Order: sequence, then C-alpha cells, then structure tokens
Amino acid sequence: MTATRRWTQRGLLLAAAVYSLFPIYFITVQSLKTPEEDVFGSPFYVAAPTFENYTDLFDTDDEPSARGYVVVPRVPFMVWLLNSAIVLGASLLVTLAAAVPAAYALGRLRPPGWRWWRRGLFATYVVPHTILFIPLYQVVLALGLDDSHLALVLIYATMALPFAIWILSAYYRHLPREIEESALVEGASPATAFARIILPMSRNVLVAAGLFTVGTVGNDFMLASIFLLDRHKQTVAAGLGVMDVSLEELVAVAGVNLAAIPIALLCAVFARGYVRGLTAAMLEGA
Amino acid sequence: MAPALILVVGVLAYPIGWEVWLSFTDFSSAGGGDRRFVGFANYRTLLADALFWRACLITVVYFVVTTAAKLALGTGLALLLQRPSRARALVFLAVFLPWAYPGGVTVVAWYWMLNPPITTAYSAFFGGVKHAVDVVLGGGAYAFLSVALFNVWRGGSFTAIFLLAGLNAIPTELFEYARLETQTAAQRLRAVTLPLLRPYMALAVFLSFTTAFADLANVWMLTGGRVIFPLIGTYAYWLGIGAGRFAEAAAWSLSLVPLLAAALFVLFRWFDPAEEARA
Repeated sequence: MTATRRWTQRGLLLAAAVYSLFPIYFITVQSLKTPEEDVFGSPFYVAAPTFENYTDLFDTDDEPSARGYVVVPRVPFMVWLLNSAIVLGASLLVTLAAAVPAAYALGRLRPPGWRWWRRGLFATYVVPHTILFIPLYQVVLALGLDDSHLALVLIYATMALPFAIWILSAYYRHLPREIEESALVEGASPATAFARIILPMSRNVLVAAGLFTVGTVGNDFMLASIFLLDRHKQTVAAGLGVMDVSLEELVAVAGVNLAAIPIALLCAVFARGYVRGLTAAMLEGA
Repeated sequence: MAPALILVVGVLAYPIGWEVWLSFTDFSSAGGGDRRFVGFANYRTLLADALFWRACLITVVYFVVTTAAKLALGTGLALLLQRPSRARALVFLAVFLPWAYPGGVTVVAWYWMLNPPITTAYSAFFGGVKHAVDVVLGGGAYAFLSVALFNVWRGGSFTAIFLLAGLNAIPTELFEYARLETQTAAQRLRAVTLPLLRPYMALAVFLSFTTAFADLANVWMLTGGRVIFPLIGTYAYWLGIGAGRFAEAAAWSLSLVPLLAAALFVLFRWFDPAEEARA
C-alpha cells in the first residue's frame, strides 16, 4: 500500500469516527453547562463544566424548585432509572424466551409451511407499532395492564421478535445435524442436547438478537409515554417525554444522557459478539 | 413456536383487525364515542384529499432518499472497516455508537444542533441557516432535511454494521479470485462486492422500513410536534391523538398496507429465495 493510500484510509477512518461521535459529544458538552454558559458560551466545548444538571436529577424532593428565575422540575429520577432497567431486562428475557423455541422449530423441525410461517413472522416487523397505539391501548385495557410495565414489555418484545427469530432460525437451519445426533448417541435427551450444546453454540447469535432488542427498546419513548402515565411507574424515556418544555431544559438533556450511558456501555462490550452473531447467521445466505 | 405466536397474535394481529374494523366506522372523540358503520366513507374522503396524495409522495421520497443515503454510507463504512488497520477497533466502536446510543437521546442532540433552543449562543446562526434553506428549497425543507439527516445518521450506523457482518460472511476466496480477474478496484466493487452484498442490502432496507414509514418519534421531536410536512405515519398519529378522529387515522394508517406489501414481495424475492433455487 502506498503512503498516499494509507493516509487516505486514515483520513476516512477519522472522518467516520468524527461523524459518528459528534452529536453525542455535542449533547454531552451542553449537559455540562451552567445556564449562563448555555447562553453566552461556545457550542463546541465547555469552559466551566458542572455536574449540577446531573445531580439535580437525584434530588428526592418532589416539588419543583427555583434557581434564579429558572424553575427546575423535580423528577423521581432514580425510580425512572430503575423502571427503565426493569422494562429493558424483562423485554430482553421475553424476546429471547419466545424467539429461541420459535426459531428452533422453524429452522430445525420445519413444520409444514415453515417457510411461510417464517416469512409471515418476519413481515410483522414492518408493522409500525406507533400507528397501532389506539387498538393496542384497547388490548392493554382489556388485559388490565394499563400503567403496567408488562404492557410495554410485551409490545417491545413483539417489536424485536421478528428479527430475533429470523437470525436465530437462519443459524439453526444451517447447523449440521450431526452435532445433535452425536449428543443423542452419547445418551442425552433432545432437551439436554439443545440446552447444553445448541444454545451455547448460538451464543453470539443470541447476543446479536439481544443487542437488537436493546437498540429497539432504547429507541422508543413514544410508546412509553403513551402507556405509562403514573409518575412513579414511568421509564426515563416516558418521564422525560412528558415533562413540560422537556427538550429545552439542560436537566432533561443530562437525564437522557445519563440513562444512555449504561446502554451504550453494554452495546460497546457486546459489539464484537453482535457482528460475529450476525455473520454466523448470514453465513449460508441471509 | 407457541409463545412467539401468542405474542404476535395478541399484540399485533388483534389490534390490526380492530384497526381495520375501526376504519369502516365514524369513531371519533367528537362523536362522543358512538361508533357507526360507514363502509368505505373514510377511504373515499382519504382518496379525495389532496393532502393524502402529498403525504404519499413525501413518504415515498423520504423513504427513497434516506434508504439510498443509508445504503451508500453503510456500504462505504463497512468496506472501510473491513480493511485491516490499527485504528479499526476504535473506529468500529465509534460507528456502532449512533445506533447503540438510545435514539431518544441522540434525537435530542440533533434537535439541539439543528433547532437550538432560543437561549443558546448559536441559535441565531442556525435560525439563519434554516431561513436560508427554506427560502431556497421551499417551506418545510429544513425540517425535512433535519429529520432525514437524523434518520440517516442512526440508520446508516446500523446498515454499516449489518453490511460489515455480511462482508465477513462472504468467503474470502471470492475476493481473492476477484483480485486476479479484475483490474481496478472500482471494477471489483461493481462486479463482485456489490452483487455479493445484495441480499444483505435488501435485508438492511427491509429493516429500515418502519423507521421510514412511521418515524413518528423523530419527526415529532425534530419538528417540535407540528405537522410541517406530512408523512403518512405522522399525520395518522396527529389525526388520532391530536384531533381525536380515530377512524380517519385508522384509514390513513391502513393506506400504507399496499405499499408495504409490494415492497415486501420484492424484498423477499431478493433475500429469501426459494431453497431449490439456491441449492
């Protein structure tokens, strides 16, 4: 490789990184500003960083307080964080628990018409849930799940399921049958063979399906703010979504950013597994 | 398979059925909750509405523009990340972040960048940019661009990682043969890499569907909740939640079905060919 080409590649890599990271950097800079600097400072860096906006989130007092002329809304932020974690964790569990048997059935056992079942399930991915909110609300009411985390968990799970089933079943379909057969010969029951051999083998694909779920759940705040109205049951997204003037408050910016950090870390840790899992599922064609 | 089916039927099929039935009634909050069967009246109103056709056009343009941009960007980034280099691991993480970082946060970031709150030091500057764009390209153009930009930024990241996985799944021998058989990198890209990537690209397009047709949240936030340019999805939401005209909203939403079905048909042929053909 010539020197020019090497430098071109470095330049492109740098450009890709800057392009990807700039909005995140930008919003972090804003969240560290004092109200004064927000008005008079530079948008690109922060001269006197303060964690005020972040610490404000954790004041347990429920009453709004005034700082200067600015009314700072008080929010039960710890509660929201906890709720978000519950909803995210439960959505993950439900998605994977429903996706694995379905994918195994479609990819391995191949019931009659499995191809159409698989396509049909995958096609549900394009159904925009945000448009279905009125009938969805009816279902939620009928099940007595209004203001319950479970409603959100079930809806999120159906949003991520099609993709999870698709990649898992693609993977199971192309796994050599000898793997299970040798386990059966060794005296394992089909269930044990599945749990001890097939599941661990598909670890990366499970990571991919899981991360996709995390990304899907993390992206939503519309559904969350429709289905959770009780302040103490809301997730971070729902809570900040219904806060008045939420978008223009530094506190809100700090809040969402803070909630994002664990998710971003989680994704960073599993990023390699995600690509490996996708690759594993794609190896024999999509 | 049962649990997945129950979930899908309960949370999707039933609401969809309900929505279809709703679209044949005159249910709205103004009517006091009475529902009367009105047949195809809602659809007739819809088809006669100039706004509907404008929304259709905008939706299709939005989908085509963002998808093309996402594919181009995604392919470029994936090819870049596939080449060995020292910084690759770091840049890979950076490219992954726009998708991994919750959309609710990054949409706020874009909102602050493109439509900054009035208090900030740079709001005057962006107000000027917005005005200039709107004058040159017509009202609402800036809002359209900012929504499209956000969609491309976040979706492009997903596409890039997805296509990178696709590139990894292609046997390296194929690229080695290609190196022997072709003369220029451009030729190789056109004759070998892109055709091999096609099924994955189709899959990526499929996955960016929902965001294009019902990217409510982002459109909502980046335009401050106003219907500046109607996408079918956002307008339906506005009709339903904003105006309480539930039946009309249902008809609007369901008008997407033929479009979606046609696109699904094409995409399935590309990325899920019949077994016989592949073997």
